[in-house]
Amino acid sequence: METSTQVPEIQNQWIIRLTNFWRTFSKNRIGIVGLAMLIVIVFMAIFAPVIAPYDSSSSASEIGDVYNPPSSSHWFGTDDAGQDVFSNFVFGARVSLIVGFFAAFISIIIGGLLGLVAGFFGGRMENFIMRFTDIMLVIPDLPLMVVVVALTKPSLLNIIFVIGLLGWTTTARVVRSQTLAVKSRKFVLRARAVGAGKGHIISRHILPLVTPILVVQAVLVVSLAILNESALSFLGLGDPTALSWGQMLNYAFGRGAMSIGAWWALLFPGFGIVWVVLGLTLLGQGLEQILNPRLDTHHLMPGRPVIQGKMGMALEKIIEKIIEKSPLLEVRNLSINYINEGKPPARAVENISFTLKEGELIGLVGESGCGKTTLMLALLRLLPSAGQIVNGQVLFNGKNLTALNEQEINAVRWKDISIVFQGAMNALNPVRTVGDQIAEAIIKHMPGFARDQRLQERVIELLDLVGIAADHKEHFPHQYSGGMRQRAMIAMALACNPQIIIADEPTTALDVMIQAQILELLDSLRKKLGLAIIFVTHDLGVVAEICDKVLVMYGGVTAEYADVDIIYNESRHPYTQELLKAFPDLTKPKKKLSSIPGYPPRLDALPAGCRFAPRCPLAFERCHTEQPLLHKLNDSQSADHIASCHLLEASK
Amino acid sequence: MSKDNFLEVRGLKKYFDADRPSFFSREPRYVHAVDGIDFQLRHSEVIALVGESGCGKSTLALLLMGLEEPTEGAILFEGRDITHLNDNERKGLRRKIQMIFQDPYESLNPTQTIEEIINEPLVVHGIGNNKNERDERVKKAMEDSGLKPAEVYLQRFPHELSGGQRQRVVIAAALVLEPEILLADEPVSMLDVSIRAEIINLLAELRITRQIAVIFITHDLGSVGFFADRVAVMYLGRIVEIGTMLEVLEKPQHPYTKALISVIPVPNPRLRHERIILQGETPNPIDLPSGCRFHPRCPLAMATCKASDPPFITLSKTHQAACLLLVK
Repeated sequence: METSTQVPEIQNQWIIRLTNFWRTFSKNRIGIVGLAMLIVIVFMAIFAPVIAPYDSSSSASEIGDVYNPPSSSHWFGTDDAGQDVFSNFVFGARVSLIVGFFAAFISIIIGGLLGLVAGFFGGRMENFIMRFTDIMLVIPDLPLMVVVVALTKPSLLNIIFVIGLLGWTTTARVVRSQTLAVKSRKFVLRARAVGAGKGHIISRHILPLVTPILVVQAVLVVSLAILNESALSFLGLGDPTALSWGQMLNYAFGRGAMSIGAWWALLFPGFGIVWVVLGLTLLGQGLEQILNPRLDTHHLMPGRPVIQGKMGMALEKIIEKIIEKSPLLEVRNLSINYINEGKPPARAVENISFTLKEGELIGLVGESGCGKTTLMLALLRLLPSAGQIVNGQVLFNGKNLTALNEQEINAVRWKDISIVFQGAMNALNPVRTVGDQIAEAIIKHMPGFARDQRLQERVIELLDLVGIAADHKEHFPHQYSGGMRQRAMIAMALACNPQIIIADEPTTALDVMIQAQILELLDSLRKKLGLAIIFVTHDLGVVAEICDKVLVMYGGVTAEYADVDIIYNESRHPYTQELLKAFPDLTKPKKKLSSIPGYPPRLDALPAGCRFAPRCPLAFERCHTEQPLLHKLNDSQSADHIASCHLLEASK
Repeated sequence: MSKDNFLEVRGLKKYFDADRPSFFSREPRYVHAVDGIDFQLRHSEVIALVGESGCGKSTLALLLMGLEEPTEGAILFEGRDITHLNDNERKGLRRKIQMIFQDPYESLNPTQTIEEIINEPLVVHGIGNNKNERDERVKKAMEDSGLKPAEVYLQRFPHELSGGQRQRVVIAAALVLEPEILLADEPVSMLDVSIRAEIINLLAELRITRQIAVIFITHDLGSVGFFADRVAVMYLGRIVEIGTMLEVLEKPQHPYTKALISVIPVPNPRLRHERIILQGETPNPIDLPSGCRFHPRCPLAMATCKASDPPFITLSKTHQAACLLLVK
């Protein structure tokens, strides 16, 4: 009963997974080309007796038929024995593929098992296996194969075993490193905590994540085995009864095809080898691109051109004159879309405005996925390739950053506005000293600096500014603690005396005490250097400690924007109010925290009306159909108090 | 069996081998990750273990789960010594003590569906006579964890869920075994504040509905303070202060506890207050400071702190702290 219900379900899941995989694979051009090339050969090998015009063992009917050039009766000409090269080519595919696949099968099983055992069990076993692998790796394959094959009877089976038994080393290494990587992941620890045994962990957790790598590896091993077989046969060590492509080359070469000029006897089998190996390589590359997402580099591609706002240039000039004492940074009605091919664009950020004065600290608050990082990247025009500014301006000292060309914006990046990214651990190069990396940041952006004493002094000055003693300059990132790495990142951001620092969740991964240290540091920096700081975070508590102004974002739009005191004590938007309520307040502990039910909207499925409506406790009919406008609240204590909520219409 | 010693930890120590300072050095060195911990956990009690990274709280969790072997000391569960068990005995115990991990992105296998993930513990322990029975348990665990209706999530993969939902999956996969103790290692620190509240509420609810005791490990006293019964503050492998939640939050006695409480962000600029920001970070647990381990960072350190290791001072029936300032 039990098995009968379970089996079809599991099969179903495999079918779903395979169809999903095929859907992705069919979009991969390299992989598809490789697969097509292979299918042709495999098809030829399977139907060889039907395709080949002559029997493989038929020899010349007449003596004069040796080395005949290609003709209508012999498409690829004939060889030294008067046999049809095309027929031999077709049957040769069989031999080459059989040797390739079976030898690779042996290699993959041995290499996979050894790699898995070494990676999973570790200890002495691993040491032994890996040293053995190392020894096998330094022995040149081909000479060893030649020796072994020469000592044994040259039969097809022997060749398969020799190639298979010698070709597993790289597979063992690849599988071991992948097993090690998977083994150290938290879900394996969780499975152990659940009580799962080793067998269960290997079959359910390790293998599913090792298999993709193994598939790619298998494809490469097959092509290697085919090459090895060809080489052995070419050297005359192949099975004389099984005519592979390598064997054909051997015969042609040894029996004077070159001197006669019978190029066809050499070209076609050679072409077969190249075709199969190329097909396998392309297939392997295609598979790797799909199965190994780390190869995805779209972030390095330049962003899309900015679509300028509706405001004409003339009008813009006038406005610039009106705001004579313009703030340091003014963001006006900025909107950003993510372009999805074949789908309507995702409106990631819509109509965001805020200002930032010298020495001011603005908190940009929102849950993950609310568009805050997108907004920050857009300020410096660092959006990934799918992102596009579709409206609005970013005025820095009156200069519209969205209208600058790539070279001009590059001059602003880091020198005027710099960024401290989340996760300082990954942003530092592990093999260079921290001081060296800070020096690099200075030189790259300030050509005036040479690699001299002055540069070293500047590095020490920057480290001092962020509270790192000068003797840590020569240390590597791994010698730094999490808090010190974040300080080093801040030092790097300060390298060119910027006017604005964007701090994107700089304290999120840190302990509360270290978080307090970093907040104190940022606060002191803005007082000391007159820095303006945009502090991006999901934590309203952190913002309350140091910010002057707060912009609360929800689903890509402004929920509320006001002075920090107003936000915490007189907030008008239900989202801000709910966020504050969700905060554990230690001054008055209670049994249950209030929380906001549901989740933020996905960018590809934004609600029709107010984006917060589905989670809002105060939502009424209109909220679900009509997006609220930004209301400026004049009765507020704050000079600029803006909130977008239908409930505020009356108080406008 | 007394109600008081449901889970008891006695003098627990875990030292890891450290790299020697040089190739020629003979003297072995140890990382004193956990260095003498005692505490008791009662039935359906919530205890918070609080401390900065490097204080040994995660190692303590692994020791309690039997995923690491302690160097010294004992762990007793319902009066039975469970410090050293063979695989079989350990497996039976695992049903009673389950763990939730910090990072819900990392602690779920990306190739498994939610159903496979939550069903897995049942398969491992051979629970349930047929698929229907297991399905029922999976469904109940999911709905108790707030994944309602369960059918919506069963066939999804982890990457299709939000961070909060993933953490609920992790909780469901623990609940499905109907454990009596839940060990939560920083279960909310990777989540948005708005989602944190939901997960903490969920845990608070479970201890009432399912009578589960919770050991909540965190660096952020603020995230747990209000729902824990007791708080134990850890520093460099030891507990420096332990007491009821109100005792520790309102009358902290150890300078380290005071500092930790002062840096909890308060979501109101009008309540901005003096923070005691300790300089530097937890020293490495290889070369421990002499005397009181906290003295190099302590704002109140005296000359004697360098010399003598402070004893545990009993302040009330439930409240203890280890500081020389408290010695009268």
